[in-house]
Amino acid sequence: MASARKRSRGESLALRYAILGAWALFCLVPVLWFLSIGLRPRTEIITPQPIYFPTFSLDAWHMIWEDWPMGKYLRNSVLAIIGSVIIDLVLAIPAAYSLSRFEYKGRDDIGFYILSTRMMAPAIVAVPIFFLFRNFGLLDTIWALMLIYAAINLSFVTWIIRSYMLDIPKELEDAAKTDGAGELRILWEIIIPAILPGIITASVIAMIFAINEFLFTLLIASTPDAYTMSVALANFTGGSDGVIYNAIALVAFLAFLPVFLVVVLIQKHLSRGLTMGAVKG
Amino acid sequence: MSNPALSDSGAAHAAPAQPTHRRFKRRSKRMKALLPYILVAPAVLYLMLITLYPGIFAITQSFYNVKFGPWQWAGFDNYTRLMGDYQFWGALWNTFVIGSISLILQCVIALALAFYAYRDPWVQGWRIIFLIPMLFMPSAVAFIYKLAFLDARVVADLFIRVGLLDGNVAWQSSTWLSRMILIIADVWQWTPFLFIIFVAGLQAQDEEVEEAARLDGASWYAIFWNISLPMMKPIIAVALILRAIDITTMFTNVFIITKGGPAFGTETISYFIYRTGFKFFNFGYASAASVIMLIITIIIAQFVVKRAFVSART
Repeated sequence: MASARKRSRGESLALRYAILGAWALFCLVPVLWFLSIGLRPRTEIITPQPIYFPTFSLDAWHMIWEDWPMGKYLRNSVLAIIGSVIIDLVLAIPAAYSLSRFEYKGRDDIGFYILSTRMMAPAIVAVPIFFLFRNFGLLDTIWALMLIYAAINLSFVTWIIRSYMLDIPKELEDAAKTDGAGELRILWEIIIPAILPGIITASVIAMIFAINEFLFTLLIASTPDAYTMSVALANFTGGSDGVIYNAIALVAFLAFLPVFLVVVLIQKHLSRGLTMGAVKG
Repeated sequence: MSNPALSDSGAAHAAPAQPTHRRFKRRSKRMKALLPYILVAPAVLYLMLITLYPGIFAITQSFYNVKFGPWQWAGFDNYTRLMGDYQFWGALWNTFVIGSISLILQCVIALALAFYAYRDPWVQGWRIIFLIPMLFMPSAVAFIYKLAFLDARVVADLFIRVGLLDGNVAWQSSTWLSRMILIIADVWQWTPFLFIIFVAGLQAQDEEVEEAARLDGASWYAIFWNISLPMMKPIIAVALILRAIDITTMFTNVFIITKGGPAFGTETISYFIYRTGFKFFNFGYASAASVIMLIITIIIAQFVVKRAFVSART
């Protein structure tokens, strides 16, 4: 019934599905082709004539686990990302609480300052950050990655959580206040449980950005000790061997799958998270 | 930005009910006034460490000649050299050209897709499919396009097969073709970002307004242009700004696909800073370029971003 009502003249269903279908193909074809790259032998990747129907091979799968410290890269990625998300939440939840629940001088400026750090191009701060970490002996450690990922995502996480906190009706708080609960207890016992979806959304988005981060990781990690998946890819160029594309493809899918699953789960909150709460999806 | 519903919370703390324990009360009153600052301080201090500190550091370093040895005072040398450096201006121009073409394409495509998808019964499914490119690591996406265009020459081969080309293309020797690869990779990966936001914006709109217009006989396109799009303006602004920030800092694709070539034709400002700083170890010079970028960023932040985020919230 609903769809019949919504359809009206001037809109042809054929055109709609042609356009959406075309874009879906454009999205999926490179992905499937890249998957086929991951599942073929190296000799069939860079050839005089492109091979569209290659022989199936798990060469790359064995290669990434046996010839490279892939387990280590994976562990570095996971530790740096989880650590950074924890740092973000510890800093962002109180900050968002302050920005959304109190009225005080300079509040909006502080909020905007936090937001504006999102605009810093990594390249602008790259040189100073490099020297900072070098002075503290943190170059080439996952601690440095953790700190930098947390810094990159903090503005995002704070604003997303703030947006969810603004939605909580004030009556909920007032009731607790008349019972004599202090601010921090209200934050812990009422607000945090109420905005759990927001906290999860913020964490997932922070996780995606941390996995994607490239420039800082490239500068900070100079040996496999601190390589993450993202930068390890760029180093799969294997020197004289050229770029080892089938291994790259498999690692790309290895990183993609968990992200995809989590994102499908939080789909409803995604648009709100991606705009730092400016759009309520 | 300020929320009127919350504005009386401060006053509520100022007048506690019980008149006992006066000293404790006064201390706790001051504590209460300070509490919001204490709560927000750790985040602000942390962010200052990665913005304010590097900013000051970069400004200082930009007045020195920093190569391998000790820093040597250079005055405004780095800046005057930068003003005459065609590679720096080229990088700014490339960033602008690649970024604006890419952004316009993404916006138009995402709006069209959102327009067709948001009423579709399978909108969830479309959303998941369209999301996929966005969830690959940017470095992986860069390799997909490097392989497809350059190393395996699949794109040229496909064009030859359908008869659009009659020989191989030397993408890498043409500035515009190289830029096109960067643009296609960016459009492929990031159009979904805008699409998801636009769909959410369209879905959140009041259906009754559109329904009324439809009963008056307005066509779909008229409704979209005259009603939906104007209502979407603040959302579009926020989404485009976020995307623009990421596009102007484009680095990964340049680093992996083109290395800034041919003849610096695809070198973005981020790659320029990386190359002068970390390839030629000319840190003072790289810092001077960073400072100029920083000034541009601050100006844009003050005049564009602040307004967009404030209006999106009302």
